[in-house]
Amino acid sequence: MADTCSDHNLAVSNVKNRSAATADPISDYFASLTEPGHIATFEREAATLQFDVADGPTPDSGPSEHWHVTINDGDVSVTRQVLPADAIVHGARADVERIVTGRLNAQAALLRGLLRTEGSMAALMMFQRALPGPPGSTGTVEPLTSEAVMAQRRPK
Amino acid sequence: MSDTLVQILEGNTFVVSDAKGDIEASSTDPTGLFSFDTRFLSRWVLTVNGQRLTALSTDDLQYFQARFFLVPGSGTVYVDSKLSVIRQREVADGFHEQLRVLNHENDPVDLDIRIEAASDFADLFEVKDALKKKGQYRNEVTGGSLVLRYQRETYVRETWISSSDKASADEKGLTFHVTVPPHGEWATDLDVVVAMGSPQRPADKPVSVHGQRRVHRDMTRGLQKWLQRAPTVDCDWEPLEHIYRRCMTDLAALRFSALTMPDHALPAAGLPWFMTIFGRDSIFTSLQALPFTSELAETTLRALAERQGTRIDDFRDEDPGRILHEMRYGEMTAFEERPHSPYYGNADATMLWLVLLDEYERWTGDNKLVRDLEHAARAALAWIDEYADRQGNGYVSYQRRNAKTGLENQCWKDSWDSISYRNGDLPGFPRATCELQGYAYDAKMRAARLARQIWKDPAFADQLEKEAADLKRRFNRDFWIKDGEYFAVALDADGRQVDSLTSNIGHLLWSGIVDSSKARAVVRHLMSPQMFSGWGVRTLAEGEARYNPIGYHVGTVWPFDNSFIAWGLRRYGYKAEAAAIVAGILEAAEVFDGRLPEAFGGYARALTRYPVQYPTACSPQAWSTGAPLLLLRAGLGLEPNGDHLIVDPALPKRIGNLELLDLPGRWKRIDAFGRGRIDTDRMVRR
Repeated sequence: MADTCSDHNLAVSNVKNRSAATADPISDYFASLTEPGHIATFEREAATLQFDVADGPTPDSGPSEHWHVTINDGDVSVTRQVLPADAIVHGARADVERIVTGRLNAQAALLRGLLRTEGSMAALMMFQRALPGPPGSTGTVEPLTSEAVMAQRRPK
Repeated sequence: MSDTLVQILEGNTFVVSDAKGDIEASSTDPTGLFSFDTRFLSRWVLTVNGQRLTALSTDDLQYFQARFFLVPGSGTVYVDSKLSVIRQREVADGFHEQLRVLNHENDPVDLDIRIEAASDFADLFEVKDALKKKGQYRNEVTGGSLVLRYQRETYVRETWISSSDKASADEKGLTFHVTVPPHGEWATDLDVVVAMGSPQRPADKPVSVHGQRRVHRDMTRGLQKWLQRAPTVDCDWEPLEHIYRRCMTDLAALRFSALTMPDHALPAAGLPWFMTIFGRDSIFTSLQALPFTSELAETTLRALAERQGTRIDDFRDEDPGRILHEMRYGEMTAFEERPHSPYYGNADATMLWLVLLDEYERWTGDNKLVRDLEHAARAALAWIDEYADRQGNGYVSYQRRNAKTGLENQCWKDSWDSISYRNGDLPGFPRATCELQGYAYDAKMRAARLARQIWKDPAFADQLEKEAADLKRRFNRDFWIKDGEYFAVALDADGRQVDSLTSNIGHLLWSGIVDSSKARAVVRHLMSPQMFSGWGVRTLAEGEARYNPIGYHVGTVWPFDNSFIAWGLRRYGYKAEAAAIVAGILEAAEVFDGRLPEAFGGYARALTRYPVQYPTACSPQAWSTGAPLLLLRAGLGLEPNGDHLIVDPALPKRIGNLELLDLPGRWKRIDAFGRGRIDTDRMVRR
């Protein structure tokens, strides 16, 4: 685990050296939530979530930056303030970056202890619907012929 | 290890032990304390003065509670013990075990009572596939508790073991040095809690995986309340009352709460290995149970909508709008070595979810839920057209994008050889199985009703009905095998008919996609000696190349399958045929003492006299448990119509008088009566 942590730190410092617009996937992600202003999968839902992003290697190593998301019947607003929330998510920057870019599944991260959460599981479950899928996923696959399927099943 | 395994459970926590209450699991042995798809105890062995015990008797008191009567010593036929040991165990967030030792002598006895404990923290998938662990183990004694701990990177799981009586704890167990007075008793309470540990902070108390500690005493009351709320069955044919009670009790045991909705229950798929959310199984079981309880359907609809797909994820076979297949919480899922977080690889649950939404509203009149889930329903409908048509020919088909750990067959017959041509060859992918088209048709027709009546969108309703009518027309042309007069089980990757004769054609009747002119031929096939065994309809017809009366999806009889076929027969007006299936499956249930297995052998009834159980690890299975409930509905011809419930009985003669009292629904409570008048004996060929 120590190796992974130092990788994270390296990645973070590299990111910081680059220009703000492309180097901060977390800011980009939260900005993308408010751009449409309305997200259909959140219709008839209401919740508030607080994201505490830690600069250190663990979910609770400070200092951290804060993002507060309010969802109300599909409308989404985001601030950088610390406000009361139904659910709070703590995560290390490198892990949160992977989550908001689709390279780490949020549910897996939670089970793995990469995220620490407090409060409403329902709010978290709802929010994860607005996370992107893995960058490499195309949704397509080459068809398989009957001959290919039969060949797979033939004893080798 | 004794042959008789004792299993008790609550939610997704369960204990499988031997008849003594001991657990001695090997890496592939399915005993232990399991929770959230992880084994938290693989060893739990009681000794008295270094001696193992022998079981005199074992009682499953409730599905979550068992009691073991033991005496010291083992291996003799003759027991003359001066001591008795009673273990009573209840599952909660882990388990709670009361240990009592009774001294039958006139003198006090000094005893060393020891519980040995260990855990391999295996993922259920590892137990199944015998895989190696990648993390480290550490056991420690903390303030009188023994903590078993496993860590892999940031993934930590712990088992906390403590006792009410003072024990000397070491890293391998707890020992009690006690003196039991003459004719006296010593007792202690053992508490085992499953916990999520933290990699950073040393724990001082267990952080339950379940969030909050649950009180086991409430469970008995919960079960009683559940049974009291259920409608009453009165029947001249006595086995039916027993079958019904068994079903409702098993259904109670199968109730499972999602972490997001701790106070609501949905049906898990099966005990004990499938105590998790399965899209298809939870939906089918909720449909079967609707006349008796709507609570399971409501929670299923909400829980599946919460986790509805929203993105393209090839590893999880996820698409926007798709309803999930299976959810898991173990280590392999956590490290993305398995796609179950959740996995979406099914082609039917999305459409079945829409069917359940409409059927739920027809029974309950709960408009609010239908309005709350409007977006999810529209997303599900969009999935049918945009993502499920993988061949681009207007039919729903499937092909996994995760070729390594995804599911090959994404329909209910999910084993590798379940879909074949008559000659036994397997078709390529994508595969458009026939029942998927039926579900798509039914989903659109039902959604059209909801759009018109509840979402107030008549234009959308018109469009859905037009699409459904078009699908039905094309389906009856493209899937119909003219010379055989039945529907192909699938269209293959080239649009060619996969021509074996299967029970899938029965689901087509249920969905209503069959042209009325073709229904008679379909029914003739279903009730023919090639398909109907006398107990029920076989998954694959006798005479097909892959037919095997004990092949999982290629010849066995599935009670769940038959319950939907019976519903389909009623939909097309084939009352006597439906009654024959009601008779066959309920009589099989009688032989299985009220608990239907997942599947049983497809042997002709006249040949074996008794249904031959197919060996599966899971019992009860949710949709087998639900089958008698749906058969009661089919037999009585229960059909909601506005604020009324239509009752149109067509029951086997043997049933005699049948009364279903206090059926809940939009009519509040209603009674349904029927009298068996149909002579099914000739049809079931006993």
